[in-house]
Amino acid sequence: MRYITIILIALTVMPDVAQARPVSYPGGWTIMQTNDTNSNNLHVHYSPTAKYSVGYKGEYHRDEQWQFHGMQLNYLAKRINKPKSQANFYLKSAVGAAYSDYGQLNSETEAAGFAGIAMDWETRRYFTSYENRLTYAGDIEKSFAQKARVGIAPYIGDYGDLHTWLMLEVDHSPKRDDEVVYTPMVRFFKGVYLFEAGVSSNEDILFNAIIRF
Amino acid sequence: MKNLFIIFTFLIFVTSNSAYSDEKVAEGAVCKDEVVVSVNGLVCDFCARALEKTFGKKDEVSGVSVDLDNGQVVIALKDGQTMENSLITKLITDSGYNISSFDKGC
Repeated sequence: MRYITIILIALTVMPDVAQARPVSYPGGWTIMQTNDTNSNNLHVHYSPTAKYSVGYKGEYHRDEQWQFHGMQLNYLAKRINKPKSQANFYLKSAVGAAYSDYGQLNSETEAAGFAGIAMDWETRRYFTSYENRLTYAGDIEKSFAQKARVGIAPYIGDYGDLHTWLMLEVDHSPKRDDEVVYTPMVRFFKGVYLFEAGVSSNEDILFNAIIRF
Repeated sequence: MKNLFIIFTFLIFVTSNSAYSDEKVAEGAVCKDEVVVSVNGLVCDFCARALEKTFGKKDEVSGVSVDLDNGQVVIALKDGQTMENSLITKLITDSGYNISSFDKGC
């Protein structure tokens, strides 16, 4: 646990460092469908400029049985382009409504939102990312969660080739029974399509798909 | 020792800036029907797609190819068309990347 904390802190403070690119190119649309150990998520966003994107965010948190629907704003606060690498620092926030269908909170609806940072650093061979968020949904949910990821590409392909990445994600959700969850995964990336699949240490299936157009 | 460090840092800063200036190409000069632009930050297919879409929308461009291995974008121009450096720089900067050099073949 202590080592995980150190790794997460290290990733946070790495100066050149940013996740799966929540901002696209000017006029670009992105559909991100992600399913991890905690939730199923859909984010559809449009980027008017390369600095920010705005769009719908929907989440279903399986164990706690609550869902969120709202508008999410992603802002690229800083990008560092180098000849062989790119680093990004993003601010992410959303406002909307949460709906619970669990226990005493059955059918309760609350105003809700979240805010967090995301950062990544990648070359064509290596990838690191970190993101966190504070979630507030009244009586339904108040939580902090963070995740970090490292990855390596076993071979280097050019644009249009099938790119393969081997990755490890660490999720830290202090409120959950499984406070720390590890998910080894494989990422396939070709053109405007990105898919990720893995199985977590608590035996949940991770499946993510991103399409950018 | 402290002063030596400051002087050394200053020299590195001055040298790196002057090296960047040397890479700039005369504004508007187009010597053949394609421009090869070296771009910083080209690390994945999403990056390549961004620049392909951006330049593909321009009337004067007949084709765009991205070489991730060399971090280059090759912009093919239609017959008789030109594209100024300032416009290329703006399009790439607005897409979230930055240019390290141009090669217009002249």
